Formats: sequence, C-alpha cells, structure tokens
Amino acid sequence: MASLLLPTLTTKREIDTIIRDTLDKVVVLRFGRASDASCLQLDDILSKTSRDVSRFATVGLVDVDSEEVKVYVEYFDITLMPAIVFFFNAHHMKMDSGTADHTKWIGSFHSKQDFIDVVEAIFRGAMKGKLIVTCPLPPERIPRFQLLFKDV
Amino acid sequence: MASLADSFLADLEELSDEENYSEEETAELADAEHDGHTDMQDLESLNYDDLDSVSKLQRTQRYKDIMQKVEEALPKGEQDESTFLVEEDPEYQLIVNCNSLSVDIENEIVIIHNFIRDKYRLKFPELESLVHHPIDYARVVKKIGNETDLTLVDLEGLLPSAIIMVVSVTASTTTGKPLPEETLAKTIEACDRALVLDLAKKKVLEFVESRMGYIAPNLSAIVGSAVASRLVGSAGGLSALAKMPACNVQLLGTKKKNLAGMSRASALNVGFLEQTEVFQSTPEPLRARVVRVLSAKSALAARIDSVRGDPTGKAGRDFREGIRKKVEKWQEPPPAKLPKPLPVPDSEPKKKRGGRRLRKMKERYAITELMKQKNRMPFGKQEETSLGDGLGEGFGMLGQAGSGKLRISVAQSKLKPKATKKFKEKSYGSSGATSGLTSSLAFTPVQGIELTNPQALGSSLLGSGTQSTYFSETGTFSKIKRT
Repeated sequence: MASLLLPTLTTKREIDTIIRDTLDKVVVLRFGRASDASCLQLDDILSKTSRDVSRFATVGLVDVDSEEVKVYVEYFDITLMPAIVFFFNAHHMKMDSGTADHTKWIGSFHSKQDFIDVVEAIFRGAMKGKLIVTCPLPPERIPRFQLLFKDV
Repeated sequence: MASLADSFLADLEELSDEENYSEEETAELADAEHDGHTDMQDLESLNYDDLDSVSKLQRTQRYKDIMQKVEEALPKGEQDESTFLVEEDPEYQLIVNCNSLSVDIENEIVIIHNFIRDKYRLKFPELESLVHHPIDYARVVKKIGNETDLTLVDLEGLLPSAIIMVVSVTASTTTGKPLPEETLAKTIEACDRALVLDLAKKKVLEFVESRMGYIAPNLSAIVGSAVASRLVGSAGGLSALAKMPACNVQLLGTKKKNLAGMSRASALNVGFLEQTEVFQSTPEPLRARVVRVLSAKSALAARIDSVRGDPTGKAGRDFREGIRKKVEKWQEPPPAKLPKPLPVPDSEPKKKRGGRRLRKMKERYAITELMKQKNRMPFGKQEETSLGDGLGEGFGMLGQAGSGKLRISVAQSKLKPKATKKFKEKSYGSSGATSGLTSSLAFTPVQGIELTNPQALGSSLLGSGTQSTYFSETGTFSKIKRT
C-alpha cells in the first residue's frame, strides 16, 4: 500500500500554481489542520486514493494555520475543518450535496469509494462544461453539521 | 556366430541340471551382445558350474594390458603440462579403451552377480530381494559364508542398519540350508572376483577422470570430469561427441530405449547429464529446462575442445557460470504488481457488440406491437380504459374499430425460424382438427360482425414495426362514416 505523501501547500504562490497549471484534471484542495482528528481521517483517505484517482485529479493539502493562506480561508469562508474545495481548469466547482453550502465539501468521507465517486462526479460535470454538479452519494453518507445558535 | 552354436551344442551334451539356467544366461548375454563388441564372445556362459567359463574377462589380454597401463599412469598424478593430449597420443587411445573396458566390466559384474545369486539361493533365498546392488550382495555373501546364525556375523558398514536388521530377521526364518563345501568355495571365489572387478573399474574411471581435465577442459568444467568421460565414451570419442547436436547429447546414456512411434516421453529424458552437479542441485520443477541448457552448452564445449580452441577451460567455466545465473533468474519471484490508477471517466468509448445473438437477446425486452398500439391514442376520441370512464389503464389504439385489424396478432419475430407458407395457408381452411365452434367471423360490440380481411393483414400497415402507422403514406383515414 504505497501512500504517497500528498503535497502540502503553504504559500499563496504554490496554491496559485497548482490551481492554474493543472490542466484537465480536478484539483482537490483540503483546507485543515494536520492535528485535527477528522482531518487526519480525511487525509488518510485522500492519500490512499490519490494514486487511484491520479489520472483525473490531483490532491493537495493546505494548512490553514499558515499566514499567506489566510487570504484563501477568508475568500472561501472556511470555518469548519476539514473543508475541501474543488477546481477544474482554474474554475471553482460547486457541488450540491443537500447541505446549505455548495462551494465546498465539509467533513470527511465514509470510505475511499465515496471520495472517488465525488471526484468522478465533479470531473464528469466539469468535462461537460457545468460549474455545479449534484452529489452522487446518498444523504446518509454526507456529513452534516447542525447549526447551533448561541442563545436558542 | 559360430561359437554361439558351439555353446548350444555343448549345452546339449552336458545334460546338466542347470540347463535352463544356462539358457537364461545366453538370453541375457544375447542382449548384451548388441553392443557389438567382439570381445563379448568371451563372456558367453558355456558350462554354468564352472566360474571360470562364466567370467572370462579377467583372463583376456586386453583387460590385462589396459589394467597394466592404467596402473602405471595413475601414480603419475596431475601432470603439469597444460598442453593438450592430441588424438594420436597413446594416452588418448588408452582413455578411449578405458571407457569401453569399464562398460565391459560392468556387464561382467552383472553376470557374476547372477552366478553368486543362483548358488546362494540354496542357502539364503531371501537375500537377493533384500540386497539389490551386486557389489553389496557379494560382500554380504562373503561375510556370511555358511553361517546359519546371523548374530555371529557383523554386517556393520556393509549395509545401512535398517537393512541389516531386516536381513538378520529373515535369516532366522529362512528356508535355506547350508551349502556343501565345494559350492561354498566356488561362491566365495566368485565374490572375490566381483570385488576385484569392481576395484578395477573404479581405478579405470579414476584414471579417465583425472585425465579428462586435459582432454576436454571446457566440457569437464561444465558437467564434471566423471560425466564428461562417460559422455565421450558413449559417444565414441571427443570429435564424435562434438558432431552430435545438443538434443542427442541430452539423450546419451538414457537407460530406456523407447519403442519407435509408441514411446511416451514421460519422466525427464536425461542420460548422463542427470548425474551432473548442476542438475542435482536444481529444484524439481526447473530440471526439464536446465537439462536442455546443459546439453546445449556442453555440446558447445565439446566442440571447442575437439578443436582445442580454449586449452585453459575458461569458456567452460563461463558457461557454467551462465547456467547458474539462469537458474537463479528462473527462481526469482515475479515482480510485484502495482495497483493501476483508475481510468479517466468517459475516456474509453463503450465497446458495443452486435450480431444475431445480441439482437435475439434484445427481442426479449423489445417493445411489442401490442405495447406500441397501447401507447398511441386516437385523435379526437377518448381512449378506452380498463375500468371504464377514463379510470384505470388506457388502451390506446387497441380495439379501435376500423383499424383494419380486429385483434393484434403477435408479430412474428424476424429471428425465429419462419413457419412455412403451407402451414400459414392451412390455418385459414380449418383442417378439421379445430373445434367446431370456431369461425372466421368475429363479433364486435360496435359494428356487429366483422370479417377479417386477409389481404389487409398481408399488406398490413401495422405489420412491420418500423413503419409509422400514424403518419403512414399509404394509409387512409382510419374511419370514414357516412352521416
């Protein structure tokens, strides 16, 4: 089981390069902290599937704690960790998974196959020219987060 | 052969009890004579009782000469001369003679073994089935002698201890009785003879082996000097061996001569090469491949040696190294498979199959005529439904009056074998097998009696599913009513 180390991006330039320069492949960027438990689980799944998916996707890890990356955290409005943002040919791909936020995927995956399915759906949609796709996973497998209001 | 005839005559005159034995002997010898050595005449058994007539080899001049030369040459030990022995060299001739002599000695030993066995049968019949090897048998017989109680006999070192045990046990229950003095003396003498011959053979082989390194260094580097000497001997000389193709080299020394056309090459067909170190040290499944490589390389080495291309033997050593590397490579495990990455989605177009079989399969799920009619609706009219009044399932065009057909007949599948025309026409004129209540008339609720028009069926607008009947060119209005 060769789990290749996924490239970790720390500078803005690196992130820019990877988004711009990857042609005809989905760019999967995980925003999170390496110490967080669900982040680790997600990272594990990502590293194990990165080779299988390598023909149509590249995976990268972005550490949210570094300075330059804060811009992107602001831009994508990332509050819950881990979060995955998808890109294709420098376009930001959205996915409707039944949650409120379509711009990113929040949380980990149940299995490797789920992740592969999601990436494939994004790829197919992107190749057709869509910018938003629907999630192929059944709702049980989509991690949901309850909105807790402070005083209610 | 004249002497064979003489021997038979002599047998008849003899009228000895062992006549049948001697016939057996001559039969055995007749086989041995196929080798074509003229000296074999000496080995025929005439008078079975006398050992000397049975084994004459030791008294032949040839034997004595060769043994003498070997004795002289052996102590010379390893010669420093790295020069080759030319074929005309007397030593070379000696070696060739030695090869054939060793074969003769082997045959002689077999004959003597038979002799001993037959004599000793009276005393200890079971021994021959327990101890098979002729030399071991001779040694055991010599040790036991005329002794009845085997506890007094020490067989240590002659046989493996398991066999010694079995021998002692069988000896205690043997059916034999002690031999008369004269027979015993003869038997012991025969045993001695056998042992001497065995020793002689060993000496001869030793000599040949020691010299083999000078005659054929490359060949001996690959297969070892013992096997090399045997190969050269059975081929009839180094140049004869060099002329053989490698496949023949592989078969030199095989014991089985399969019948032409009816042989089954079962277990490996190897001869002398089976005794080489290389062969013995390769694992079982690779032996078939190794033997082919071995015979190929040894044929090459023999050719090099026959023209003295490499007196140092380096080529032979290189070959051996090459063989060793090959065997190692064969034993390597296959390279580990890396899991392949998934293919890009939709990049590989689906391979669509076609053909009769697929079409037949598709027929099972095809939309039938009935369904097609059901799916369409008449214009300007409410369609009939199963529960009436617009409830239930709609019937579409089914059962509509004036549509040229009363009932939708099941369209014949194009792929099913067609019913013959005769059969079709027969159905209109009932052949009497149908029940008397059937008729070609049918009663419909709308217009009463309707006759089916066979012509309309034949040129049916609805017959072929490919034509659209709604927009049909040939069709007319489906219902024109006179009001």
